[in-house]
Amino acid sequence: MGSMYRASKTLKSSRQAFSFLFNSLKSNRRDPLCIGLYQTYDFSSDSRQSSREPAIDLTQFPSEKIRNFSIIAHIDHGKSTLADRLMELTGTIKKGLGQPQYLDKLQVERERGITVKAQTATMFYENIVKDQEASGFLLNLIDTPGHVDFSYEVSRSLSACQGALLVVDAAQGVQAQTVANFYLAFESNLTIVPVINKIDQPTADPDRVKAQLKSMFDLDTDDCLLVSAKTGLGLEHVLPAVIERIPPPSGLSDSPLRMLLFDSFFNEYKGVICYVSVVDGMLSKGDKVSFAASGQSYEVLDVGIMHPELTSTGMLLTGQVGYIVTGMRTTKEARIGDTIYRTKTTVEPLPGFKPVRHMVFSGVYPADGSDFDALDHAMEKLTCNDASVSVAKETSTALGMGFRCGFLGLLHMDVFHQRLEQEYGTQVISTIPTVPYTFEYSDGSKLQVQNPAALPSSPKYRVTASWEPTVIATIILPSEFVGGVINLCSDRRGQQLEYTFIDAQRVFLKYQLPLREIVVDFYDELKSITSGYASFDYEDAEYQKSDLVKVDILLNGQAVDALASIVHSQKAYRVGKVLVEKLKSFIDRQMFEVMIQAAIGSKIIARDTISAMRKNVLAKCYGGDITRKKKLLEKQKEGKKRMKRVGSVDIPHEAFQQILKVS
Amino acid sequence: MLKTTISPIFSSFTGKPRTSRFIFKAFKVVLQDAPPSARRNASTNLTTLHQGPPTSAYVHLPFCRKRCHYCDFPILALGTSSSSSTKPSYVYEEGKEDDPRITNYVNLLVREIKATSTDFDARPSLETVFFGGGTPSLVPPKLVSLVLETLSSSFGLSPDAEISMEMDPGTFGAQKLKELMELGVNRVSLGVQAFQDELLKACGRAHGVSEVYEAIKLVKDCGVKNWSMDLISSLPHQSLDMWEESLRLAIESQPNHVSVYDLQVEQGTKFGNLYTPGQSPLPSETQSAEFYKTASSMLRGAGYEHYEVSSYSRDGFKCRHNLIYWKNKPFYAFGLGSASYVGGLRFSRPRRLKEYTSYVADLEKGAANWCGNGDVNLKDVATDIIMLSFRTSKGLEVKDFGEAFGSEVVKSICRVYEPYVESGHIVCLDDMRREVLSGEFKTLVANDEVKIEDHVRYLRLSDPDGFLLSNELISLAFNVIAS
Ligand SMILES: Nc1nc2c(ncn2[C@@H]2O[C@H](COP(=O)(O)OP(=O)(O)OP(=O)(O)O)[C@@H](O)[C@H]2O)c(=O)[nH]1
Ligand SMILES: [Mg+2]
Repeated sequence: MGSMYRASKTLKSSRQAFSFLFNSLKSNRRDPLCIGLYQTYDFSSDSRQSSREPAIDLTQFPSEKIRNFSIIAHIDHGKSTLADRLMELTGTIKKGLGQPQYLDKLQVERERGITVKAQTATMFYENIVKDQEASGFLLNLIDTPGHVDFSYEVSRSLSACQGALLVVDAAQGVQAQTVANFYLAFESNLTIVPVINKIDQPTADPDRVKAQLKSMFDLDTDDCLLVSAKTGLGLEHVLPAVIERIPPPSGLSDSPLRMLLFDSFFNEYKGVICYVSVVDGMLSKGDKVSFAASGQSYEVLDVGIMHPELTSTGMLLTGQVGYIVTGMRTTKEARIGDTIYRTKTTVEPLPGFKPVRHMVFSGVYPADGSDFDALDHAMEKLTCNDASVSVAKETSTALGMGFRCGFLGLLHMDVFHQRLEQEYGTQVISTIPTVPYTFEYSDGSKLQVQNPAALPSSPKYRVTASWEPTVIATIILPSEFVGGVINLCSDRRGQQLEYTFIDAQRVFLKYQLPLREIVVDFYDELKSITSGYASFDYEDAEYQKSDLVKVDILLNGQAVDALASIVHSQKAYRVGKVLVEKLKSFIDRQMFEVMIQAAIGSKIIARDTISAMRKNVLAKCYGGDITRKKKLLEKQKEGKKRMKRVGSVDIPHEAFQQILKVS
Repeated sequence: MLKTTISPIFSSFTGKPRTSRFIFKAFKVVLQDAPPSARRNASTNLTTLHQGPPTSAYVHLPFCRKRCHYCDFPILALGTSSSSSTKPSYVYEEGKEDDPRITNYVNLLVREIKATSTDFDARPSLETVFFGGGTPSLVPPKLVSLVLETLSSSFGLSPDAEISMEMDPGTFGAQKLKELMELGVNRVSLGVQAFQDELLKACGRAHGVSEVYEAIKLVKDCGVKNWSMDLISSLPHQSLDMWEESLRLAIESQPNHVSVYDLQVEQGTKFGNLYTPGQSPLPSETQSAEFYKTASSMLRGAGYEHYEVSSYSRDGFKCRHNLIYWKNKPFYAFGLGSASYVGGLRFSRPRRLKEYTSYVADLEKGAANWCGNGDVNLKDVATDIIMLSFRTSKGLEVKDFGEAFGSEVVKSICRVYEPYVESGHIVCLDDMRREVLSGEFKTLVANDEVKIEDHVRYLRLSDPDGFLLSNELISLAFNVIAS
């Protein structure tokens, strides 16, 4: 139903875009000579579209009339808002219609006000600045997420672009993700257009930001565009700069077709939608294409652009970015980074992407043990739209059947859970997140551990070595907080790699830190130490040798597998103690006394008890009126549903995820 | 497995087999598909027990001198009567009680009873009548007589019916009590609550300890054999010593029945505004559990049988009326805010006088229904039976329960209860009420071939540990029924 609505909206906006582009022609829309507006093919993939509606003629846009660019920035510096303004300016979306941050379509994105998934929009723009004669440009904009967890989305988006708008908040200046994303674009040889945004803010200091861009990235201060995506100030310079500075795609139009598959998602009605960027050659509806990595071939049933909704065009030409529909059933067949080519031709595969690296793993279990099938179904569907999660079935004695999932970070994990709940209506229990460890035993065997429960508490062979993953972290902060942050990093077993001044007030720190130490609450701590003025980014680094132990949690002597964790031996006692305390605060009094213990192997390192419940008696049922008491009992019963029973101890669902706040 | 076996059993069917016809008639609507009649299941089973005609009636007489600080029942506070200015307001004076508010209410009540016509095939007489309140003893005997006459002519009143009345110290004299007994009231439930003046005062009771002794003497002098004393534990500032004293004095006065209620702090009451359960000046959870245990051991030690969570009786003086509730049998209810259970449906009358008045008028016009609407949900019947049976020392009749709701349900409940049988919170008994030990119970539960009911006839909560945690234990069984 949503798509029907969108389909009609799309048509309206495309028509409007073209009347803007070609208004000088003033011709009848049905006139076959009217470029861009005559019917090139019927919209077979979307029967709702009437065949009398105009279509877009992409042949108008050879490579030199195309610009592909991403918008990259630190979190909240205004990427999505800038995208809104550019789409309005080009008539791609109607001004004042639709919600702000138009491209943030997911409910999670709207609720959290962040971008989680990169989104592409094709815009048509008549550049009147330089060209004498009216000449239309086709611009592909990709709005990217700012949060570190989703930086792989940025890399993928950049691979479909020749340039990037590097947006920097005029008051906050260069932040950690600004640095990280700048280097991603720089290393991909993209042209960078610096855009200083939010100049309407009273605290805006564009000159300082210009100086930072100069000193850190050697970007020319004269090249910086000053804008306010909020008020529209300075916005008219953005697209001309894109056209002038960013080179057109350099693909060969007469070479055989070669496309990069840079994203995919599952659409209820059309099946799998593949986002592609045409590197060489051209593609038409009905063509047969093959996927290099999967070796599968398909017929192209529909092809078009995101304008910003899916809009059929019947073809895609060299340098253009769009979508194809092939009747593929699951996104598993569409491996992101794959090369697509015309069947029966031979092409050199494109470099593709580094495989995503999962930073944290956690168990996902149905909140109601009997609902495994529902969860299984939801996982299947959601992973079709979030290929960055790794999923493997696992079983827990405490929680039953579930999945071990690998995530890009905690925000990604949170977003995934929220989407499971909101988009598929499944209630889940997630277990304490863990990072992947490696253990070596005296017999020379090695064990990769993504679930602490899988590490034997009393192994057959002695553990001779263990390794944990590390990251290289970038922290940018006002200099007055440096002392506190250095203490924090050394408490987290970090090693300082760099300490430089960006300008008089701001410091740039680089640390190597164990991933485990930053995964849970590092950023919160950092923010509280620096009153929110620090920004933080990290990239994965190599594994390092470390003295690791497994801490088991026992309830009345029985180990609860879902509560086990792996920690550095020096921190084991502290962690054990805090875990026991936390758990005590979550578990209500039971009919029996409950003993909570933390143990390394057979050694108890912390313990506490919850005394037995004494009284929970039914009150008088006066005059035979039992309704109220019954309601109370029903409520108590419902409360029990939010519990997992381990032995005879009821543990509330929240406990499994809340105790992760212990590190 | 469980799901599939339960779902067909726990389907719902239309309730009020007999009465609904009457209501439909009143609306002049042709009833198309006649609901299953009680006769169809001639052999009475737990699922049809409530279908028959009630033989009990609860009558609510809501008048009180003033509202007690813990009370959230539908009552009408009469206030201090100005005519007795020389004595404290709560001292009873014969003949000064023709309050028009009482007369008007009783007239309304009588109209309600008259407007309640049933359509049951059998018309057994009432076996128990319970006058609850409020303070029913504030109502003049001639008005009580009117109510009893009306009940008798509407439903019949068995010659050996138990007719109970709640009476508060300081609200009756010898003459009034005698008159009431002549009318047929044969059981008195005396609202003593505590034997300490400071506690009675703190609760906002309208009497002191001296009135308590007077009332006990009156009851005994008038030859009321079947009388009960109500006590409340866990009052603010109550110490274990005070509680033991109250229990001792209660036992010394030799009632045949004692009801012990643990104070419930309800929202919207004075106590609710002032206190938080478990926090001073209220006793802690551990202390009030101690109070409960003390009551159980002292009263049992004095020869009382602890036959229900909060009831103790001697020589078979159980309250016959209350047993109807615990057996999930049907009963009528009349008066402000009262709750009836007829045809498997629970129905509460309006709690405000104004609405109750128009309810009675509607009832007379045939525009209201006196027993509730809707379908009887068998899951509700099952949970009602569990919750009510577990209040009694007899416990849940596993065999009947299995016959009514399926053996699988019994098995699942037993499975859930296994750790609590082991811990002694739940006791299993065989046909002869001999205990089935936890080891044996475990084996029975583990064996899929075994039908538990063949070996275990009753499950009951232990006294006092199981009774103390009854909410917890009952809600476990609710979970089984719900799944
Ligand atoms: N004052 C002012 N606020 C702006 C401007 N541009 C964006 N904002 C606000 O900044 C906040 C973040 O904007 P977004 O566009 O969601 O930022 P983003 O970079 O897409 O954020 P992520 O996708 O989460 O990284 C929103 O509240 C915007 O309204 C601007 O030019 N001036
Ligand atoms: Mg955004």
